[in-house]
Amino acid sequence: MSALPSHVIDEIKALPARYPQPRSAVMPALDLAQEELGHLTPEAMAEVASALQLDPGYVEGVASFYTLFHLEPIGKHHFYVCTNLSCTLRGAEEIVDRLRSATRVTEPGQVSADGLFSYEEVECMGACEYAPMCRVDHGYHYDLTPEKVELMVAERRSAPQAPASGKQKHV
Amino acid sequence: MSEHRGTVGGPVLTEWFATSNLHELAVYESLGGYAALRQVLTAMTPQQVIDEVKTSGLRGRGGADFPTAVKWSFVPRDHPGPKYIVVNADESEPGSAKDRYLLENSPHMLVEGAAIAAYAIGGRDAWVYIRGEYDLPYQMLKDAIAEAHAKGYLGDHPFGSDHPLDVRLYRGHGAYICGEETALLESLEGKRAQPRSRPPFPALKGAWGMPTAVNNVETLSSVPWIIRHGGAEYAKRGTEKAKGTRMVTVSGDVQRPGNYEIEIGVTYRQIIEELAGGARPGRKLKVFWPGGSSAKVLPASMLDTSTDLDGLKALGTMGGSGGIIVMDDSHCVVKGASRLVRFYAHESCGKCTPCRVGTNWAVRTFDRILAGQGSQIELDLLDRVQQGLQGGRCLCGLGDAAGWVIQSTMNHFRGEYEEHCLHQTCSVEGALVNAGRTP
Repeated sequence: MSALPSHVIDEIKALPARYPQPRSAVMPALDLAQEELGHLTPEAMAEVASALQLDPGYVEGVASFYTLFHLEPIGKHHFYVCTNLSCTLRGAEEIVDRLRSATRVTEPGQVSADGLFSYEEVECMGACEYAPMCRVDHGYHYDLTPEKVELMVAERRSAPQAPASGKQKHV
Repeated sequence: MSEHRGTVGGPVLTEWFATSNLHELAVYESLGGYAALRQVLTAMTPQQVIDEVKTSGLRGRGGADFPTAVKWSFVPRDHPGPKYIVVNADESEPGSAKDRYLLENSPHMLVEGAAIAAYAIGGRDAWVYIRGEYDLPYQMLKDAIAEAHAKGYLGDHPFGSDHPLDVRLYRGHGAYICGEETALLESLEGKRAQPRSRPPFPALKGAWGMPTAVNNVETLSSVPWIIRHGGAEYAKRGTEKAKGTRMVTVSGDVQRPGNYEIEIGVTYRQIIEELAGGARPGRKLKVFWPGGSSAKVLPASMLDTSTDLDGLKALGTMGGSGGIIVMDDSHCVVKGASRLVRFYAHESCGKCTPCRVGTNWAVRTFDRILAGQGSQIELDLLDRVQQGLQGGRCLCGLGDAAGWVIQSTMNHFRGEYEEHCLHQTCSVEGALVNAGRTP
């Protein structure tokens, strides 16, 4: 029984041709695997390695280096909360506290019992003018307050489908 | 919230930002977009492009401040095989958000600038390495590139010329170290992002072993304007030695945080007090980081410092990536420094021992201080650790930056450190409890 469905393996095998050297395909391939499974299991990484003709240890070495690859399970809605200086100066600690109580997830790495939520505190995500901010479901959310966080969690708990992306400010 | 003001000679990068839907090719082009790429491909040699940028005095806006035209001229003309422009869109310096702002407003400006740069070095492909968290800018760039292809502005015969050009995208996956150009190249090649030793420099052996120039988003976004108006016009802005305009991001304890385009040479007082509205009511500014978390801090008494790069250099600090972080008198400098040191420890790639060990040593020392367990020993230890982190002992500047945070905050705010270490109190934020929470 393989971890990744054959259509994903086929997509991964098509990746190396896009780059001047095939090794560059490793991160886009891990992306596809993670998108499929939610996180990168050892079996999935081994299958990525086999599809790209790379050493499994090498692939795991790459995956474990980068923050956005998850080697442990995460919730359906994983909150990346910035707690770097600009966000902390504007209340990031309160945001994390409210997120914890609203999701009933008490520490990073934990997933809520219903599988919906998890979070981690991350470094600067490059939206310091809107601090405090977070990223969830492939979108940024700006000028957070504890009340906004509570609402974001409630929306995701009640809706079968999460909002596809965050607040989008172009100017 | 974000706006462009403060340019004496008029804005360059944000010139068209008031126009809605500027991210669409038709709108961008109606204002004059892609005229520069057309001109370059139909009427200029690569050397003429480099000369024009040289006249402008444009320097790298990612933090290193290196003259752009000189960087391009290092790429060997007669090298057989591919030559690459790599765009550093991995913006991750704490306090800096300006590249995201530029990309979300005008993705075509980068596409055009990157294509011009590829032409200037005699290459075909510009690879944009964009940080993985930037979902929206990534999508906008992807759409912009597709539009440019559909119009025939990229591809085998852009504007009917015989010089093929393309802009390609590669997503990062969360690592501050990728802002360092050789770590970025490693990552682009599908490896753990650890800096390379130099030489060889990227100009000779860069992406996939080929000659490469790595440029920042803002730098390349300035290029179309320079071609349209001429390098001399750009050089009228700024100071004698630091030409042009640049973006700054102001964040932290100010009334109007935002991204602003400034003419180089205005003072930090003008940026922080006039553009960003200064301190909140009842508060006083205490300290600011003039160019991202890696720039040595300056106390509020030095707000009249100019953004001129040589002036900043004389003070031992830098304009860096333009991220200005402001802290007022309600916040503790020791706690702020501790948070940044924790950042550098987390982002240290682990390759060089002084950085890997030194940053963690500093974190543990700060944790003791903020837990009320500080003493003269911790004060002395911080001083030794910051010295050990500095001085070019590592392959890149990450460790140095961590050292500068400690050194500059201790230098200007020795009193706050002594209060914490010798009296176990913090007169700014109150009792010392659990300040060093673990992310």
